[in-house]
Amino acid sequence: MPDMLHGTLEVLILKTLVQGPRHGYAIARWLEQATDAVVPIEEGSMYPALYRMEKRGWIAAEWGMSELGRRAKVYRITPKGRRQLVSVTEQWAKFSAAVSNVLLKG
Amino acid sequence: MTDKSPRWGRWWRPAVDDEVSDEFGFHMEMRVRDLVAEGLSPEEARAEARRRFGNLQDTSATCRALAHERDHHMHRPLRFEGIRQDVRFALRYLWRHPGFAATAVITLALGIGATTAIFSVVNAVLLRPLPFPEPQRLVDIHTNWRGNGSNVSAGNFTTGIERASVFDAVAAVQWSSLNLLDETTAERVLAARVSAGYFDVFPMTPLHGRVFTKADDVPGHDQVVVLSQRLWTRMFNADPTVIGRDVRLSGRPYQVIGVMPDTFDPTTEREEIWLPIAFTAERRMTHDEHFLSVFGRLKADVTAAQIDADLAKASARIVAADAQANQERVFAIRPLTELLVGNAPDRLRIWMAAVALVLLIACGNVANLLLARAASRQGELAVRAALGAGRTRIIRQLVTESLVLAAVATGLGLLIAAAGVRALVSLEPDTIARLDQASLDGTVFVFAVALAAACALVFGLWPAWSQSKSSVPSGIRQAGRGSESGRIGERWSTGLMVAELAVALVLLVGAGLMIRSVVALERADLGFRTDGLWTGRLSLPADTYADPARIVLAIEDLRQKVRAIPGVSSVAVTSQVPMGVGGNSNGLLPEGRTYDPSNAIDARLRIVSPGYLETLGASIVAGRSLSDADRRGGQKVMVINSRLAAAAFPGENAVGKRIACCEQAPDGHGPDFKTVVGVVADINWRGPGRPLSPEFYLPATQVPDEAWSWIQRTLYLVVRVPGDPLSLTEQIRLATRATVPGTPLFDVRTMDERRSRSQRAQTFNTTLLSILGLLGVVLASVGIYGVMAYFVNRRTREIGVRMALGATRSDVLVMVVRHAAVAVATGLAIGMALSFWATRLLTSQLFNTSPNDPLTLVLVSTLFALVALAATAVPALRAASVDPTNALRAD
Repeated sequence: MPDMLHGTLEVLILKTLVQGPRHGYAIARWLEQATDAVVPIEEGSMYPALYRMEKRGWIAAEWGMSELGRRAKVYRITPKGRRQLVSVTEQWAKFSAAVSNVLLKG
Repeated sequence: MTDKSPRWGRWWRPAVDDEVSDEFGFHMEMRVRDLVAEGLSPEEARAEARRRFGNLQDTSATCRALAHERDHHMHRPLRFEGIRQDVRFALRYLWRHPGFAATAVITLALGIGATTAIFSVVNAVLLRPLPFPEPQRLVDIHTNWRGNGSNVSAGNFTTGIERASVFDAVAAVQWSSLNLLDETTAERVLAARVSAGYFDVFPMTPLHGRVFTKADDVPGHDQVVVLSQRLWTRMFNADPTVIGRDVRLSGRPYQVIGVMPDTFDPTTEREEIWLPIAFTAERRMTHDEHFLSVFGRLKADVTAAQIDADLAKASARIVAADAQANQERVFAIRPLTELLVGNAPDRLRIWMAAVALVLLIACGNVANLLLARAASRQGELAVRAALGAGRTRIIRQLVTESLVLAAVATGLGLLIAAAGVRALVSLEPDTIARLDQASLDGTVFVFAVALAAACALVFGLWPAWSQSKSSVPSGIRQAGRGSESGRIGERWSTGLMVAELAVALVLLVGAGLMIRSVVALERADLGFRTDGLWTGRLSLPADTYADPARIVLAIEDLRQKVRAIPGVSSVAVTSQVPMGVGGNSNGLLPEGRTYDPSNAIDARLRIVSPGYLETLGASIVAGRSLSDADRRGGQKVMVINSRLAAAAFPGENAVGKRIACCEQAPDGHGPDFKTVVGVVADINWRGPGRPLSPEFYLPATQVPDEAWSWIQRTLYLVVRVPGDPLSLTEQIRLATRATVPGTPLFDVRTMDERRSRSQRAQTFNTTLLSILGLLGVVLASVGIYGVMAYFVNRRTREIGVRMALGATRSDVLVMVVRHAAVAVATGLAIGMALSFWATRLLTSQLFNTSPNDPLTLVLVSTLFALVALAATAVPALRAASVDPTNALRAD
């Protein structure tokens, strides 16, 4: 279960960043709102996920000016990350279609 | 540090720790802001924010670790990119400055090439193990009598060694020169008679056929031979059907049963054919003829204590078997490699030291070249520093340049080394075992690369360090001449020049001493006249010359025939000439001493015809020489040398006294005494500079019958031919053929040739050291030229000013020469001091020459000083011809 959550978290973050570069706090807020707090996001797992994805080259970071008037680390998705998102979305669609098939038929 | 710019972009990266704590801090701040906006108090908001974050420490640590990994992954391509760039820059720099590149590369290549060549020799001779399994178990076995080592008798081998328990295998070997006859060809080959265990001590798979077994090592079943690949190729055209064929060796037929590969040369004697030694039962009981070399392969797990104990038991056995022959005789072993290597370590150490000095001079030259370059690169480096290259980056780039230079030089150096090795192998006169196996193998290649890298760091690191230190503003403003670092560079340059001079002088002094030593060797008095003396050997076949009377007649006949040849002033026959191979020694007992082996004096035996000492030109100091009057059946006489006279009858006149040797008295009781009729002045029979021995001469007419077997019926014919001795060779051959048909002459040389041969090791050493010395001088001179040219170049403006103010050309000349002369004098002084200490290394190789010989030192120093000053001539003259107007205009 934690593994699935792990991978899911990364996909959600990638989806967020498709809409534009965001800093870590903004990503956390979006995740809270978008999943209606059904998926509890602990900062403790989100930031390592971000660093992992940065290491893998799915997202890249810059430092820009923030609302607070201080610099902040801003993440954006990379072409590699976009490819990963597409591939996982496809897999998820296949998976959920198959499961729905089994569960909702008969 | 606060930065006012709004965006830093992706090129700015904070340190990882800052990055993580910064990011989390930002997150907390934002959370607090939002919570406060929802209605919490600041304190509550902060507490809530911290709670929601979770475990701050662990998350921090995890993210920091991930960030480090990320950086590692991302920076690797960047790092490599940097090195690739550096290498490209370095190569481009060398390409654009061909003069500098060529000089540096060639200088360094000479140094690395020479050192690598000598190392290949060291590798082949000292480092490579013998080509047999577990070579550290191979030993040479001999006996010691009163501290003197000697070969082993067949009896002692059988009783002592074959019954020892610490060996897996043992072998006895005797070498002789035999006539080999095949259908059409006859050749004289070096043969080794070996016992059955030989191929167990030195296991190697034969190329064809098989090796000896115990069954072959029995008299009657021993007419089998194994050939060497070399002989097989030469005489039989590498025909595999030769196995099973018969050949004739010194008259007897032998069947060829095997061929051994060329790499099979266990004792580096280069024998070409092996036969079984096949001791007879009688032979196995003879304990007093010590003629065998014995080798053994120790068992795998024996301790030194066990070996000592077993050898002690063996020594006890041989004393019990024959107390007279073996009293005070003990067995001793030493590693085979020790025997084979001999004094090679001493000689090779000298070669290595000399070539290392040459390499130092070469590195010094390259360092100077780099220093000279440094001044002109000041500007370029300053600009790079301004553009953001850190100090480490600049050092890294300069060191990369040195490494690239060293790499290119290594390529050329390996070619030079290959040529050098080939030259060494072909010119070295066979005095160092295994030198002919020197080659550029893996070990040598690794050595060359490591050496080049070390050199690059030596001459590259310091200039790189000092160059990177220069501060930005001063560097850009003053591009090149007159700058502070330029002056410091010059001081170092001069210092290097002084060091090179010192080192080159040491090399030259070494070479000079060796030359002096060789000259002394050639002039040394050997106790007889070596010029105009023809020598040759012949081996009388055992079957036709079994009767000693027949041998004596043949000798007489031969003497008369050769004497009749016009141009011959005297002829004689002997069992061993000075500096000739072979020879026997016997224990002599002077009359008056108790008949006990401990009173015997070991002396070298010479069986001679009358007139031998006269033909040699030796001087009789007391009594007479042997003559025709000394016939068989007459009073038994001998002539001894001064050394033996002093040992046998100290302080007395030896003439008329008696000495016993070689046989029992005819009545069977006690030893057979011979009367000393003359004493001859000592002869250096091993060659100049080698130790003397007691010697005794017996007339051929009177020697015991067994003596002819001791010397294997091989005799030297000695002919005094004033003028060119070898011109009479053909006629002497005819005379020999007429007297003893079927007995070819071999080993025909003049005595002078034998003398040169005996010194060939020293002559080669001297030649090699002289070449290295010359190389060192040439490199040092080039270095001096370079340093002085740089010196003059830097002072062009100053010279222009001086000349404008009235200095004459000769004033300028003096200024330059004075600077050079000071450096040269300092260098020579340091060099002389160093050579006092360094030439101690040569002591073992010098004859009659002290390592601190003042004449050599003074001569060499003066010569070198002149060469050094000559090297400064061109830059000095160029300085003197500076045009003041041009100089002042130049910037």
